[in-house]
Amino acid sequence: MTEAQPLLAIRDLHKSFGDVQVLKGVTLSVKRQQVVGFIGASGSGKSTLLRCINMLETPSSGDIFLEGQPIGFRDAGTKRVPLSQRELSLQRRQMSMVFQQFNLWPHKTALENVIEGLIVAQSMPLARARERGVRLLEKVGLGEKLDAYPSRLSGGQQQRVGIARALALDPKILLLDEPTSALDPELVADVLEVIRSLAQEGLTMIIVTHEMSFAHQVCDHIVFLDKGVVCDSGPPDHIFGATAEPRTRAFVNRYLQQTK
Amino acid sequence: MNGLSYAWDFSVVWQYRDAFWNGLKLTVELASLTILLGSILGICFALLRGSRSRWLGIPITGVIELVRAVPPLVLLVWAYYCVPILSGFTMSGFFTAILALALYSSAFYAEIFRAGIQSIEKGHIEAAYSVGMTKGQIFRRITAPLAFQKIFPPLVSQCVLVVKNTSLVGYVAVADVLYIGQQISVQSFRPIEVLTAVAVMFLVLIVPLTVLAGMLESKYRKKYYG
Repeated sequence: MTEAQPLLAIRDLHKSFGDVQVLKGVTLSVKRQQVVGFIGASGSGKSTLLRCINMLETPSSGDIFLEGQPIGFRDAGTKRVPLSQRELSLQRRQMSMVFQQFNLWPHKTALENVIEGLIVAQSMPLARARERGVRLLEKVGLGEKLDAYPSRLSGGQQQRVGIARALALDPKILLLDEPTSALDPELVADVLEVIRSLAQEGLTMIIVTHEMSFAHQVCDHIVFLDKGVVCDSGPPDHIFGATAEPRTRAFVNRYLQQTK
Repeated sequence: MNGLSYAWDFSVVWQYRDAFWNGLKLTVELASLTILLGSILGICFALLRGSRSRWLGIPITGVIELVRAVPPLVLLVWAYYCVPILSGFTMSGFFTAILALALYSSAFYAEIFRAGIQSIEKGHIEAAYSVGMTKGQIFRRITAPLAFQKIFPPLVSQCVLVVKNTSLVGYVAVADVLYIGQQISVQSFRPIEVLTAVAVMFLVLIVPLTVLAGMLESKYRKKYYG
């Protein structure tokens, strides 16, 4: 990657909920086609960071840039003006989010879940949206389940619908918030397989995960968050091996012991 | 020994069938207009009460609490006699009744709608934001349909209460089916038969409503939740 501008850049991001400071100055960048893993203990701020990128949380201070454009604000002279609903909508659909609890809409079929954003937020003609939705559901191995309601799908299938719904926006970056944490162990593999194939296609992704061996295999870059700051970062071999940072070592070792 | 024997005679009901029919039509009109207006007002109250503006939220909460606490009959009589005195503005009994009963029921509808909206999982709304939907789109496509499913049973109960509350309008001389029934009782000295007939008429109005609602509910439950 020789391009100067990263796809996503985060600068000195802070986020507090009341008196609780969750993010205390996070700076990082994500290059095009990079797969970045966020790891860290619960409460380290990794999910909050991801949610700030998608503007589901408004940062207390700091900047997020997508292709050089500030997210959530517009610069008007010296002041920063919060974006309108419509402008925010335009920004949000350049990224998309896969949720830990899938968050499929229970009153819509798998296909309707996938195309809802296209037909409502983007006013895409139904036929075109359907075509894209069917293609994506086939891609995640659910071509047979187009008209099934979420309650009839297993957790793994629901999460794959969630991934298809996120891909339908044709995002520049896919944000995955612990995509397999809510799944039964035997269902995790299918979902990870889909994510792995997306990585191979060159989709830029950020994955918040507790699946250390998966992160090791699939991510190009790992960010270890501890108490709201980036404590350590680097290629997987650094984080899972060479790093000199004792907190990273302690965290990683704890996980490796658990999986043995 | 014969003190409790009573010669039932329902012929009086048939004799006054036209009057009953007119009363029944009026009851249906009153009930449907009250349900319509009451639920529209209720949605507005629920949304305004949930809004961030305190200048709207607090007065609306006040109105809801007041209207819920006052007996509907008092509200009706008050609207019919006091509002014209205070404002100099008079309306027909029919419209006064609709306004008073709609206002009364709107407080209950508002609480039902608010509970429905609040019961929506935050994740479902976040997912909608994340695919680029705006607040209005989310309300129409996600929140409202999901909330409607949840509140359907209490909503139907509330509609049943509205239908029954229309029987109060006789107090402001609107000739609904109960008012007609009372008039006929006085003339025919057959209050038991006449009031029984009125009760049957309310049953005929309400039972199909609740049966239909139950069928719809189990149909969508089966559809979405298997």
